[in-house]
Amino acid sequence: MESALLAQSLLLALTTAGLYAAIASGLTLEFGVTGIVNFAHGEFVMLGAFLTYFLYESVGVPPLAGMLLSGLAMTALSWLVFDSFLSRVLKQDEHNQILATIGLSILLINLAMIAWTPDARVMHAPALLPPLEIGSVIVPGNNVVVLLVGIALYAGMIWFMRGTRHGLLLRLAADDPQLAVLTGVDVTRMFRLSFLIGGLTAGISGGLVALILYVQPLVGVDLVMRAFAIVALGGLGSIGGALIGAVLLSAAENLTATFVPGGGSWGYGVAFVIIVLVLVVRPTGLFGSERRA
Amino acid sequence: MKTGLTRILPYAAILLVTLTLIWIDRPFWIQLAIGVAITAVTALAWDILSRTGQVSLGSAAFFGIGSYALALFEPLVGLALAWVAVVVVCALAATLLGLLTLRLRRMYFAIATLGFALSMQVLVVVFPDWTGGAGGIAPPVLAGGDPRWQLALIGLLLLAAAGISDLLLGLRFRPAFFMIRTKPELATASGVPVVRMKIFAFIVSGVLIGLAGACYGGLYGYVVPTDVFTTNWSVLPLAIATLGGMDTTIGPLLGAVVLKALEEVARSTIGGTGYQVVYGAVIILFVIGMPQGIVGLLRRGRGLLARSGTAKKKERERHA
Repeated sequence: MESALLAQSLLLALTTAGLYAAIASGLTLEFGVTGIVNFAHGEFVMLGAFLTYFLYESVGVPPLAGMLLSGLAMTALSWLVFDSFLSRVLKQDEHNQILATIGLSILLINLAMIAWTPDARVMHAPALLPPLEIGSVIVPGNNVVVLLVGIALYAGMIWFMRGTRHGLLLRLAADDPQLAVLTGVDVTRMFRLSFLIGGLTAGISGGLVALILYVQPLVGVDLVMRAFAIVALGGLGSIGGALIGAVLLSAAENLTATFVPGGGSWGYGVAFVIIVLVLVVRPTGLFGSERRA
Repeated sequence: MKTGLTRILPYAAILLVTLTLIWIDRPFWIQLAIGVAITAVTALAWDILSRTGQVSLGSAAFFGIGSYALALFEPLVGLALAWVAVVVVCALAATLLGLLTLRLRRMYFAIATLGFALSMQVLVVVFPDWTGGAGGIAPPVLAGGDPRWQLALIGLLLLAAAGISDLLLGLRFRPAFFMIRTKPELATASGVPVVRMKIFAFIVSGVLIGLAGACYGGLYGYVVPTDVFTTNWSVLPLAIATLGGMDTTIGPLLGAVVLKALEEVARSTIGGTGYQVVYGAVIILFVIGMPQGIVGLLRRGRGLLARSGTAKKKERERHA
C-alpha cells in the first residue's frame, strides 16, 4: 500500500516536473543571457493559458494547436515588451531592472482581472491521451501529455542552444558579453532573442497549464515562484540545471503532500525552504557558474 | 547644496499635515493619511537597507512579523513589553536573514529575500496552534480605536523613520554605506566594517518595517496572514522608494503620497477588482521616463534653472 502510494506520488511528480521545467527553462535562459530575472514570466504563462482556453472554448481550436498559437502570440508580445521598454532598463541599476518586470507583472495580472474576472475556469476538452496504467498506479492522460510536451520543449531548447549558430552566439553573449561585442556579435539582438524564446516557452507552458490546472489571472504567480526555486536549485542561467531542479522540487512537493500530515497546504513553502537553503549553502545554485553571482 | 531649510522641510510638512488632519477630523482623509504614512515608513526603511547595496524583496516578512509579534506577545507580557518584543523579534529576524544572505548579490539576494517573506506566510499556516493559522490573529487595537490618535502615533513613527534616514545619510554613515554598495573590496581595505554595517542596516530597516506592520495590525485589531505577508508589502516599498528617488529622505515620502493618491483615484474609477493596474502602469512609465525618480527630476529641473544662458547654449550644442 505504502509503496503504491509512493509510486503514484513520484509518477505524478514526474508529470508536474514537465510543466515546471518548461516554465523554468525560459526564465533561466532570459536570466543567463541578459542578467535580468523576468518577474513577469509567470504572467506570460497565464496569458498563454487564457489564450489556449479561449481558442478551444470559443473557436474550437484543438488544445495542442492552441498551445502552439499561444506560444507564437507570447513570442510576439515579448518582442513588443522588449523593444518598447525592457531594452532600456538593461543598462540601469538592478532595482530598476527588478521593478520594470514586476511592474509588467502587476499590469498584466490586473488587466486580466478586469477583462476576465478573478474567477477560475476549467477547459472542458476531452483528454488527449487515455490514462496510463502501471500496475495499481493510474496517471491521467493529460498529465502524460504535459510530460511529453515538456520533454519535447526541453529537447528542442537544448538542440537550439548546442546545435545552431544562434545558440552558440546566445551562449557567447551569456558567458562573456564583452568578448561577444569584440567579435562583432549584436548583443542587443541576442538579448532580444533570449526574450523571444522565453516568450515562446511561456506561451506553450500556458497551454499545458490549461490542460491540467485552473485558468485564472493569478495562476502565473504560484508557478513562477516555483520556477524561481527551480532556477535557484539548478543555478541561475543553467538550462540543464533547471531540468534537474524541476524534478527535485516536484518530487519534494508531491512527497510532502502525500506523506506529511497536512502537507498539502504547504504549497510553495517547500519551494522556498529549498531556495533559502540552497542559496545559503551554495550561493550560485547547484549547477550555476561563479561568474554571474 | 542642501540648506538648513530644505533639511527641515519634510519634518515640517509631516507635522503640518498630521496636525491639520487631526484638527479638521475628516475620516476619509485621516484613513488616507494613515495609509500613506505606513507605506512611507516601509519605503524609508527599504531605502536605508538598499544604501548598502542590498535590494530586498523581503519587506513583507518584517511587516508581518511585526504585527504577529505584537498580537502574540501582548497576552503574555502586556502591551508595553509587547512593543519591545516587536523590536527585539524583528531585530533578531533581520540579523538572521542578514547573516544568511550576506554572501548573496544582486538577483540572488532579491530572490532569497522574496523566498524568506513567502516562507513566513506558509509557516503561519503550517503551525496554526501558535499563530492562529489562516484565520488570523487579533493584535491589540492601536490608541483605543480612535483614528485621530492612531494617525498621531503613526505620524510620530514616520517622523522617527525620517530622522533615522537623515541621520544615516549624514555623519560617517553616508560614505561607508555607499562604498559598501559600489566597491565592497575597497570598503574592506579602507577599514569599513562591511559585515557589521550591512547587518546594522538590515536591523534598522527590519525594525522600522516591523513597527509599521504592528501599527497596521493595530488599526482594526484583526490581521490574516494574506493581509501582511503578501508580496504587495515587499513590492510597494521598493516601488515607492525608486519612484520617489533613492538615497534620500524626501524621495520615499513624495513617492508614498503620489502612489497612494493614484491608487485612490484608480479605486474610485476602476473599482475594487484590478485597480492595482495603476501600479503596473506607473512603475513602467517611471522606469522608462524618469529612472532617477521624482527627486532626480526635480534636481535636473533646478540644475537647468540655475545654469547660465551660455551653459545652456553649450548644452544644446553638445546634444545637437
